[in-house]
Amino acid sequence: MNESLLFLIPLLPLTAAVLNMLFGMRLPRLVTETVAVSGVAAAFLLTLLFWGYADGEGTRATLGSWLAAAGVEVSFALHFDALAAAMTLMVTGVATLIHLYAVGYMHDEDDYARFFGLLNLFVFAMLTIVLADNLLLLFLGWEGVGLCSYGLIGFWYRQTENARAGTKAFLVTRVGDVFLAAALLWLFALTGTLEIAAINAQAAGLAPAVLTALTLLLLLGACGKSAQLPLMTWLADAMAGPTPVSALIHAATMVTAGVYLLCRLFPLVSLSPDGMAAIAVVGALTALYAATCALAQREIKRVLAYSTMSQVGYMFLAVGAGSVAGALFHLFTHAFFKAALFMAAGCVIHLAGGENNILRMGGLARRGPRELLWVFVAGALCLAGAPLTGGFFSKDAILLAAYTEGSPLFLALWGVALLTALLTAAYTFRLVYLVFAGTPRGAVDPHPLPWLMRWPLWPLVLCGLGGGLLNLPPLFGGGEWLTRRLGGLAGRAISATHDLEWALGALATGLVVLGWGLARWRYGRFRAGRDHRLGRWLLRGWGADALVEALLVRPFTAISRFCAIGCDRALVAATVDGIARQTSACGERLRLLTTGRVSTYLAAFLWGFLIMLGWFLLALVR
Amino acid sequence: MIVPFAHVLLFAALLFVMGLGCALARRNLIMILIGVEIMLNAAAVALVGGSAHWRQVDGQVFVVFLMAMTSAEVAISLAMVVYLRRRRGTLEADKFDGMHG
Repeated sequence: MNESLLFLIPLLPLTAAVLNMLFGMRLPRLVTETVAVSGVAAAFLLTLLFWGYADGEGTRATLGSWLAAAGVEVSFALHFDALAAAMTLMVTGVATLIHLYAVGYMHDEDDYARFFGLLNLFVFAMLTIVLADNLLLLFLGWEGVGLCSYGLIGFWYRQTENARAGTKAFLVTRVGDVFLAAALLWLFALTGTLEIAAINAQAAGLAPAVLTALTLLLLLGACGKSAQLPLMTWLADAMAGPTPVSALIHAATMVTAGVYLLCRLFPLVSLSPDGMAAIAVVGALTALYAATCALAQREIKRVLAYSTMSQVGYMFLAVGAGSVAGALFHLFTHAFFKAALFMAAGCVIHLAGGENNILRMGGLARRGPRELLWVFVAGALCLAGAPLTGGFFSKDAILLAAYTEGSPLFLALWGVALLTALLTAAYTFRLVYLVFAGTPRGAVDPHPLPWLMRWPLWPLVLCGLGGGLLNLPPLFGGGEWLTRRLGGLAGRAISATHDLEWALGALATGLVVLGWGLARWRYGRFRAGRDHRLGRWLLRGWGADALVEALLVRPFTAISRFCAIGCDRALVAATVDGIARQTSACGERLRLLTTGRVSTYLAAFLWGFLIMLGWFLLALVR
Repeated sequence: MIVPFAHVLLFAALLFVMGLGCALARRNLIMILIGVEIMLNAAAVALVGGSAHWRQVDGQVFVVFLMAMTSAEVAISLAMVVYLRRRRGTLEADKFDGMHG
């Protein structure tokens, strides 16, 4: 087989997107849906088919030249190595299931062509990020996912707050994109190339300060897409989009693009100890921040959004601790169980008659379908990190990586991560209890869910539960398949004694049980809580929006108003208008001279003649 | 020529000023036209006087032209006076101020 066939993987979803966007509304609904799903499913099957190409160094394929001018040489090139292949498989697999779910979920939506077109375009852009061989192509995908995310968050744009949430996501992630673009240009200026492999190879020759600055720029770029600490405010609002979008873009794939970027450039990033520490600190703090926020949220999807932010924070911590394999391991298990949780949440909202607020749900265990309870609880167990689920192993790997890094900073971050693990268990089981336990506090509308909204959950939940097998540590008889598969890309090898691993595992288990106990004690029977100040503060995400409002938006508005009123209206408009007004006033006065009467003109003739005559006489006399 | 040239010029100037005064002071269109005619004829007197004084025929040629032009002018302007009188019912010059600014 020709390696150019690798291009089919991203191009098939693109074709589906173009077809759906151009002709979607004219085709029968079934055709549109089939095109959308089959485009992604075909990409998934192709990835399986081409799996062998990723062995060793991987395979490069070039379709053609994109830019070739003045020393810039950029081509449409893919690099299908172990990292990209694993990521592609996850993205296409999860996307296929979510597309199937979306067919059921968007059953009553009239604007389905736009939805599926954007969803397919998103998959294309995401695959471009994953497979790109050079940073410019990666940046193309990076902007593409941002665009699709914007379009899909504001999918129901007739409600202003949805459109505004889309705009917010677009703008906030764009701040990160600017930093990424700066890093990209700087890298090009330093190395003269944009190929990822070449940059990674040349990174060792760069000055340490430059490397640190580059790492920080890349980190800020990653923070924008992955909703990490300074740039995290958009993710919770992004839940305004349809649930499949939340599952695909804002849980499983796009928000992990930042992690992927750092993994891709890990050889460069890892050369800067300060940069690595910054990545780990951002990750750990975000994990803690988001977990505390999730404790107080009232909307089911917002709880999950904050938990996503928190889990992505874990992945950043793993990258910072030098364990690319740990980050990817958690990325995969998280993608599976979080997508499943989101889709189950979509079913829950469906059954609760469109109700989002978990305080007004409850009792779904008895009134809803049994199957949903199992799926949701299984997803929640993974998220909480209950022993032997995928989430347990991947989270443990990260904790172990942070612990074995050795420096006091990382020990502190390990402590933060442990605290986060406790909070994670607490808010997860709070969610489960509030939704499923007790008696219904709001409308329950028990009706059979569409077939397509039920079964795509199962593969995801099974992958989430069994995700540990991907990278099972030797302690449990596994062979760390993912780490071995990644080979040289896996980052620092984590070595720990079995005793330490047992101790950490037991500690994590204890925390999960403690968190579960706390949640059961508080929410086992529903008690309406008092509306206290701390809760409100957490509900507002530590007042981050208000802070951004006060620090950025309001000064910006003030400056804009000053420019508009102070400069434009007062200075420019006043000067120009003043000159115009004076001119026209002069004209008004001069106008009076033309009376239109012959006698006036005749008199003027005479006076003019007399003056000229006088002038000549004067000249004659002199 | 028995009349001294200075007298001729003086007479012409007097005639001109009277015509000018008529054209300026009167508000009736016909009177203004008469004033203009008087001024033209004053110029003609000066030309004839000059022609006799310098024994050159040019001045008299000019006067012939002047007469032709004056008759044409009177023909047109009187026609316009009749037209305006029909149209506006007045010959008051100040009433025709349609060109005022």
